[in-house]
Amino acid sequence: MDFYLGLIQIIGVHTLLGLSAYCVLQTGQVSLAQAGFFAIGAYVAGMLTVLGHWPLIPALIVAAVLGGATACAVGFPALRVKGLMLVVATTAFGEAVRLFFFNFNYQLERGELKIGPHGGEGFRQIRYFPENGWSTLEVAIFIWVIVVIVMAALWWMDRTRAGAVLRAVGQDEFASQSSGINITAVKVTAMTVGGVIAGIGGGLFAHYTTHIEHVQFGVALASFAIAYPILGGLSNVFGTLIAVIFIQGFLIEGLRFMGDWRNLLFGGLIVLAMNVRPRGLIDENTSALFKRALWPRKDRAGA
Amino acid sequence: MDYLDFIDTIQSIADGVLFGATYALLGIGFTLIFGVMHKINLSYAAASIGAAYASLLILAGFKVPPAFVFVLSALCGGVIGGLVYWIGFKFIPLNNPLATLMSTLGLLLLIDEIVVHTTQGVPLAYPVLFSDVIIPAGPFNLRGDLIFVFMLGCICMVLLLLLIYRTRLGIATRAVSQQPVASALCGISTTRVNILTFVITGVLGGIAGAMIGAAIGMLSPLLALPLTVKGLIVCVIGGLGSIPGAILAGLLVGGLENLFQFWRGVSERDLYIMLLLFIFLVFRPGGLFATAPGRD
Repeated sequence: MDFYLGLIQIIGVHTLLGLSAYCVLQTGQVSLAQAGFFAIGAYVAGMLTVLGHWPLIPALIVAAVLGGATACAVGFPALRVKGLMLVVATTAFGEAVRLFFFNFNYQLERGELKIGPHGGEGFRQIRYFPENGWSTLEVAIFIWVIVVIVMAALWWMDRTRAGAVLRAVGQDEFASQSSGINITAVKVTAMTVGGVIAGIGGGLFAHYTTHIEHVQFGVALASFAIAYPILGGLSNVFGTLIAVIFIQGFLIEGLRFMGDWRNLLFGGLIVLAMNVRPRGLIDENTSALFKRALWPRKDRAGA
Repeated sequence: MDYLDFIDTIQSIADGVLFGATYALLGIGFTLIFGVMHKINLSYAAASIGAAYASLLILAGFKVPPAFVFVLSALCGGVIGGLVYWIGFKFIPLNNPLATLMSTLGLLLLIDEIVVHTTQGVPLAYPVLFSDVIIPAGPFNLRGDLIFVFMLGCICMVLLLLLIYRTRLGIATRAVSQQPVASALCGISTTRVNILTFVITGVLGGIAGAMIGAAIGMLSPLLALPLTVKGLIVCVIGGLGSIPGAILAGLLVGGLENLFQFWRGVSERDLYIMLLLFIFLVFRPGGLFATAPGRD
């Protein structure tokens, strides 16, 4: 049972990571820096609860704010460039954050032990959940409450003017600029929102794994972050969720019996999925199909 | 700084510049594909390492002198390059940049895993040529293997420049990279140029992979991701689509990387390279050899 609860926690945290990339991808930008914001969230939240004895929720809020602030600061220089340049710039930023934590040493004496981030060895003993007697089930529920809140907020945002503006910038920058949208502001805002979500996700990640180290936040995690929304489709938030369940639940855990071959299949399936469904598993047509099936009358009234 | 420190600093820059030839080749590969297709091929560095591995496997099967490993690696690189085009680009609509980005990312993971699977993840020793030769140059010593790698890189670059600027294929490639529609109207087959670009960059990548193996003395699948990042950085610092830019930037990154390693240690080295990239992005976003703005 604990195995499945652990899997549910992983899926929850990765959904947050995917959603943070989803926000940025909405504006047509590919950011590989999400793993960097995730790392910042993880280290900050971990240090606050372990070294500062803060409760979890304020620590998560600080992690979110810091993640967002970094994203905003990175957004201004990085979003001057686009396309490939942005991919490279954000990759470099993510790697720079990882290397920063690789060299980051801040330990306090606590009785016998030394606690805190310790360079290449990572940051051990983030024991907030066990110390406060949270069961695995409670942790899973807590993570999913946050995931649901974030998903609901993004779902709502997709339906407001803000969502329309984001999509407009993503689909045609020139056209949206001509209709009076400040595209830099929109992109930096999307990046900031992505940073906030990644910060929260990182904070949760640090607490359920209890041990974080720099290698976990490398380019691989960043590519997972953009893989979820692109594989799932950018038409709505559920695409990301389905892609996370597919990758984490099916490809990584479900295929364990295949041993070594699983990893081979993983890259191959991504390539296959992109060849078969280049616009993601759930694209505009699929979601329109669902809507028609679920609310047939409303659709007719609209048409 | 006293005299010995000065000598050591210059020495480490020189070693780095020599090794930088491999980065230059990788950067050229990224830049060429971007120039022709306006697409990014993330699997390029992994394919290079894969080609070097494939050449090692072939070398183990047949009894040929170790120098052939470079030729074999180039051939394997060309084949892998063609395959990458076939699998990752052929069937995906070109107006959807995210899809090709994702498919090449998938290919990166796939190639990496194939390598891990066939070698059980154990790093393999690579035949090193001229490792016992050390050329003294005044107070400095130049390592024979690095010199060999550098010369090989220079030969490849010269050949590539001749190919691009002196042959019909080169003219077609440049035409497609400047104006795909107009060149298609002039009767150039865009698909053919694209495939050939992938094969040519694959050959370059195979040589780069072999050079990396020869310079480090071994091959490991762990090299693929850092090399991807380095190659992309080189291609951005040099200016997207600019071959001379990629060459210069490759040597620059190689030299600076070794300098930072000498000053600050191996764990902080890449941090400064990233900072260098950010300095470029802020003050000179087009790179060293930026194309004139306004040209499509």
